[in-house]
Amino acid sequence: MLDKVYDVFARKDRGDQLVHIGYVDAMDDETAKVHAWTTYDEERWFEMCVVERTAIVPVNRDDGPFAKARRAAHHD
Amino acid sequence: MSRFTDDELKQKVQDGYMVESLEDMTEGYRKALRVQLTVQADTELMSAPSYWMAARHAPSTNTQVSAHAIIQDELAHANIAYRLLEDIGESKEQLVYGRQPHEFKHPYGFDQPLDNWAELVVANGFFDRAGITLLSDVHQNTSYAPLKRALVKIDMEETFHLRHGEVWMRRLAKAGGEARELLQRAVDWMFPMTIEWFGLPDDLKRHSGQLDYRLKGLTNDQLRQVWMASTVPLCEELGLDAPAHWNADKEEYVLDYPFPCQYDAVDKHWAFDEGEISWDAVFERWKGRGPMNEIYVESVQRSRGDVTRWLDGKAA
Repeated sequence: MLDKVYDVFARKDRGDQLVHIGYVDAMDDETAKVHAWTTYDEERWFEMCVVERTAIVPVNRDDGPFAKARRAAHHD
Repeated sequence: MSRFTDDELKQKVQDGYMVESLEDMTEGYRKALRVQLTVQADTELMSAPSYWMAARHAPSTNTQVSAHAIIQDELAHANIAYRLLEDIGESKEQLVYGRQPHEFKHPYGFDQPLDNWAELVVANGFFDRAGITLLSDVHQNTSYAPLKRALVKIDMEETFHLRHGEVWMRRLAKAGGEARELLQRAVDWMFPMTIEWFGLPDDLKRHSGQLDYRLKGLTNDQLRQVWMASTVPLCEELGLDAPAHWNADKEEYVLDYPFPCQYDAVDKHWAFDEGEISWDAVFERWKGRGPMNEIYVESVQRSRGDVTRWLDGKAA
C-alpha cells in the first residue's frame, strides 16, 4: 500500500484564482480525488483538482518540496 | 542544511521572513517546529476517537451528523499536520501507527472519557476553544508559511465546532433540571482540565524557542487569559459556575482554586481542598496518561496491520 503525495488545487467561485490548498496521500488518482474532496471540504469549491507531486515541474527553484519530490522520482 | 545560522534565522523571522521549506531552516528551528506540529497533530487525532465514542450519545440523527462532521474535520486536520511533518523529514506512518499510546503528545484532556452528550458539547465549547485559541495565535504569528496556509481551513472549521458546543451548552442550560446538572458537572471537571492544557505558567516556563523562531506569538499565560476571556463570560451568561473571575485591579482573569492541583480521573474530580501541587506532580500525572489513552490509540491503529497484510497478499 504505497501512498503517493498529491497536491490539491481549488477555485472557490467562478472567476477566482486556482490556488494550492493542501495535499493528501493516496495510492492512485481515484483515491486521491476522494481524499482531496473529503479532506478539504471547508468550502463548496467551484473547481478542484489534484496533481501528483512528482508531476509538478519547478521552474525557478531547485529547493523545496516540489523540486525534492521531482528529484526523488527521477533518481530512484 | 540551512543557508543561515541559528541567530541569523531568529533575527530574520522576527523581521517577518517566512520559512517555506527545509532548506530555509536550521536544525533548532526544525526541532521546535517538529515538537509544535506533533502536539498539534496528535491532539487533532486523539480528539477523533474521544468525540467518536461520545457521539453515540447524540439525541437525534441530525445531531449525529453534526457530531460526526466534527470528527471528520478533526481527522482531516490531523492528516494535514502529519503531512506537514513529512515535509520536514518525519514519517506519518511511524507517527500514527508506530508509536505506543503513551508516546503521543496530545493533552491529558483527550485521555479522558466523555460519558454523555453534555460532556461532548462542553468538550466542543472548552477543548475546541482551547484549540482555536492556540491555533489562531499560530495562524497570525507563525513564520512557517505552509502551516500558516493550512490553518485557514482549520480555523474556519474549529469555529464551527465551538459554535456547536456553545449552542448546545445554551440549550442544556435553558432546559434546567437534569440537563443543567449534567452540564454543570461537565464544566466542573473540564474547566480546570482546559486551564491546565495551556501548560506551565510563564514564570516557570523553560525556554522552548517557539517564540524566538516566531512559531507562536503569545505566551502560555497570555493564551490562558484569551481562553478565559471568552469562556468565563459564556459560563456567567448561562448561569454556570466556573472557578475563575475577572479581577479589575489586576486587569486579568484569576482562578478561584489552587493551580495546579491534583485530579482524580476515576471520579472526574479536582482536589481543590488538597491545595496546590508542584508542576512535577502534574507532569507525572500527564506522563502516566489518562484512563482512555490506550483505548483511543488502539481504536485508531487497530486495522492498519490487517488491511495492509490483505493488500500485500493480493499484490503478491
